[in-house]
Amino acid sequence: MMTYIVFILSVIFVVSFVGFSSKPSPIYGGLVLIVSGGVGCGIIMNFGGSFLGLMVFLIYLGGMLVVFGYTTAMATEQYPEVWVSNTTVMGVFLLGLLMEVMLVLYVLKSEEVGVVFEFSGVGDWAIYDTGDSGVFSEEIMGVAALYSYGAWVVIVTGWSLFVGVLVILEVTRGD
Amino acid sequence: MNPLIFTTILMTVLLGTMIVMMSSHWLMIWIGFEMNLLAIIPILMKKYNPRTMEASTKYFLTQATASMLLMMAIIINLMHSGQWTITKVFNPTASIIMTSALAMKLGLTPFHFWVPEVTQGISLTSGLILLTWQKLAPMSILYQISPSINLNILLTMAVLSILVGGWGGLNQTQLRKIMAYSSIAHMGWMTAVLVYNPTLTMLNMLIYIMMTLTMFMLFIHSSSTTTLSLSHTWNKTPLTTTLILITLLSMGGLPPLSGFMPKWMIIQELTKNNSIILPTLMAIMALLNLYFYMRLTYSTSLTMFPSTNNMKMKWQFETKRITLLPPLIVMSSLLLPLTPMLSILD
Repeated sequence: MMTYIVFILSVIFVVSFVGFSSKPSPIYGGLVLIVSGGVGCGIIMNFGGSFLGLMVFLIYLGGMLVVFGYTTAMATEQYPEVWVSNTTVMGVFLLGLLMEVMLVLYVLKSEEVGVVFEFSGVGDWAIYDTGDSGVFSEEIMGVAALYSYGAWVVIVTGWSLFVGVLVILEVTRGD
Repeated sequence: MNPLIFTTILMTVLLGTMIVMMSSHWLMIWIGFEMNLLAIIPILMKKYNPRTMEASTKYFLTQATASMLLMMAIIINLMHSGQWTITKVFNPTASIIMTSALAMKLGLTPFHFWVPEVTQGISLTSGLILLTWQKLAPMSILYQISPSINLNILLTMAVLSILVGGWGGLNQTQLRKIMAYSSIAHMGWMTAVLVYNPTLTMLNMLIYIMMTLTMFMLFIHSSSTTTLSLSHTWNKTPLTTTLILITLLSMGGLPPLSGFMPKWMIIQELTKNNSIILPTLMAIMALLNLYFYMRLTYSTSLTMFPSTNNMKMKWQFETKRITLLPPLIVMSSLLLPLTPMLSILD
């Protein structure tokens, strides 16, 4: 199965695109978009782009999709639920808080955390040491090149994103 | 709209086209197109009624699809040539996809359906920007990839555009739709000669932009969007009736006026390349265009259109002052003797 992992992931990718292109409500579209983002991240990582996959999760899912979901939820609910307005919501919040406190105490008691994997340091994330000369991961070099030789690209893309936000706000503002 | 934001967005439209015209990396060109598209949406939607919103949605959807096709062509080109520089597109598949994408952006047949509907739904000034400035960016890319464009596809699209532009405009009384169909026909003339002599494409683009600017400004000056309200210009400013006559005949391509220059050069270039049936057909179909321009001049300057009696005593409170109008009118009608200066365009 591992030899065909990219194929399987790409199938799931396309199916989830079909899922939101068939236009359900934006909330379900956002759900399928999360799945497709995660699967896309897996495809990138299979080609060695670990940094770019992280970018997809952080910036795309964690930034843009969260803002989209927040604004959609804000637009649909007239009286949104707050933590103190409902006893159920308050109870669940306190339960989650209790779980986190117990995990922190467990981590503080023992030296290293070995729950799923051994976490010991950030050492070999960027430079792969293979013998005499270090080989740099090429996507990190790509990001470095973007900020040095590709300064114009940064300016243009930054401006387009800014204008995108301006345009969206202008169009939604109406009169 | 807030004037600061309006200025920013207008400058971004200009910036987008400039980025397309001066980049040497395909990705930057795509970014320029997207920036241009994104920034022109609020300009199209200046007034917030359902018609403008529908028009800008249609424009956005077609242009976004064209950008997607362009990106696909860029990536196929990357796969086969391994580089991102703007040169002729060597792979035939990528070339055909890119030509279709740029034809969608320009409004060539069979992708012309959005032009009349979008132009009709927006205000006259926005329509002006749409039909003149927005044509510059795709045409510059077509100019740069012209050595590799598939001749059959481009010539078919060009001839069909001239046909559709002529026939489609026959039944129209709304001025913006007439200008839209005229734009489709002129784009057809421009792309017909692209493979043979791209300099003439640029000449035609220049003269077309001047004439369209003049027409739109004359419409804005008399605040008319239908043939009926244009026929009342004799009452408002009688001078503009003659100017409308001259400019419309120039758009139709009649000899002593400058609109004849691109058509003459294009027909000459096509016959030099041993195609005789094609320019004959194109010249005959340009007569359809001339017919509805003549109909406009007939109702505006040559006759007094039937109207109610109180329309004959109109009082106009404030004339819009359009400073650029007189030089534009002169340029769009009297440039023909300057044809030998064509060589500076090379």
